[in-house]
Amino acid sequence: MSTPDYKSLPVTVDKPIPVVYDLGNLSVFDSNVLDRNDLDSSNAKREEHIRAITRDNTQLLINQLLSLPIKTTTDAAGGTSGQSANMALLRLPEGTTELPREKPLPKAKAPTKWEKFAAKKGIKSKEKGGKMVFDEASGEWVPKWGYKGNNKKLDSQWLVEVDDKVQNTANELIDPRSLNRQERLKLIKKNERQQKKNARGM
Amino acid sequence: MIRTVKPKNARAKRALEKKEAKLVENTKQALFIPGQTSNKAMHDITVDLSALKKPNMKRFNRKNEIRPFEDASPLEFLSEKNDCSLLVLSSSSKKRRNNLTFVRTFGYKIYDMIELQVAENFKLLADFHKETFTLGLKPMMTFQGAAFDTHPVYQHVKSLFMDFFRGETTTLQDVSGLQHVISLTVCGDFQDGEPLPNVLFRVYKLKTYRSEQGGKKLPRVELSETGPRLDFKIGRIQTPSPDMAKEAMKRAKQLDVKMKKNVELDSMGDKFGRIHMGKQDLQNMQTRKMKGLKSKFDQTPGSDDDEVYEDAEESFVTADDIEPAAKRQKN
Repeated sequence: MSTPDYKSLPVTVDKPIPVVYDLGNLSVFDSNVLDRNDLDSSNAKREEHIRAITRDNTQLLINQLLSLPIKTTTDAAGGTSGQSANMALLRLPEGTTELPREKPLPKAKAPTKWEKFAAKKGIKSKEKGGKMVFDEASGEWVPKWGYKGNNKKLDSQWLVEVDDKVQNTANELIDPRSLNRQERLKLIKKNERQQKKNARGM
Repeated sequence: MIRTVKPKNARAKRALEKKEAKLVENTKQALFIPGQTSNKAMHDITVDLSALKKPNMKRFNRKNEIRPFEDASPLEFLSEKNDCSLLVLSSSSKKRRNNLTFVRTFGYKIYDMIELQVAENFKLLADFHKETFTLGLKPMMTFQGAAFDTHPVYQHVKSLFMDFFRGETTTLQDVSGLQHVISLTVCGDFQDGEPLPNVLFRVYKLKTYRSEQGGKKLPRVELSETGPRLDFKIGRIQTPSPDMAKEAMKRAKQLDVKMKKNVELDSMGDKFGRIHMGKQDLQNMQTRKMKGLKSKFDQTPGSDDDEVYEDAEESFVTADDIEPAAKRQKN
């Protein structure tokens, strides 16, 4: 076979009926007329004919694929050499052909006994954030409670604003710093009471 | 149904989790099973077909006494045991020579089956003596023939082969990974009532050449056949029950991309948002703070201001001249 001059060959294909693409599955569907005589097994040129049709369709598919948006990465292409190479990745759309699933859609898990109980009682899961919290003012991470805790900020202030509510009442002269501490102690007491109550309830 | 016990260790638990139904599914695995009547030719053909499906496949070496259209339960068992949803059973008999039964399962139950008999003129990978496709790449597929869109049998064939060979579903495809094409052609168009023409299965390797006409971007594509070359004659078919088909085609709602309301992209790629505001409440608007504007100094009709006014009026009614009162009123 003499090598044809590929440079001058066209990269476009004309089809009477335009082909349909499923780019997500890298597929192309050609519904143009197929001549039975060309494809008959007695025809000597049969294979060439099939290859010609396939080539045309592949050319169309490749043209479509290469015009998709491209994402280039410099990630190592899975090689062991450790060299990073530029990779051109085509962003494929989702496949349009409906194919059956392998297994039924996963069902939602049945709620556990605890989850049912929590829903009934309206118990919400605790906010998970850890003990430390970022203090904007000092630019440091400080514990929410405990030694140098964020809830003790008021205690160390040299000047504390008097609350509007207690203004001009008998409680006006009570030090708000000690009040803050008392409130915290109250919360601890309350929590202990609840714990005891829960323990009894079991 | 295979009995499963509650896993006792983490490894067994992981293995079971891999088998579970997932929202985004694993690539379908294929299982090649030689039937009791399988022969050398069928063995070679399944080896070549499995090479196309590697690494998502398993191939049995021993023959199995399975007649899928009479009793499919052994296939369901093997499907569950090996976690494979694509099964290919090879057999050869006087009535059906060189027969491959392609079975798909859904949830380890038979979804559909089709018999494809390989015509005598098949060629294997080894017959081409050429460089072959690279393992594990996602192939391109071309389907030639209007029947693939219109005729239910060929739709079945199309769906089967796409399902079988499409490999991993991905949104990113390496350009250099576009290396081989699987071509399926209906052997000529046909009318209703005529015997179903064969389906021609070909695999080609892609060669791309820089073309002046395509500019920098588009290459000229040429193909060279790598095999296997198989002509499939269509035999018996079992279609999925409508219930099962409906269940299998269900799409997960969680995966659907939600349309974002009131957000648009213009042709330059700039993002525009449209916001709908509620009616503004000017009553509570914060204006400049002054002592004189405090709410206790508010002047509302019917309050003490009016009373003062009435008093003034009364005092003037007693007077003879009314005109000055009218003038005052204006003030």
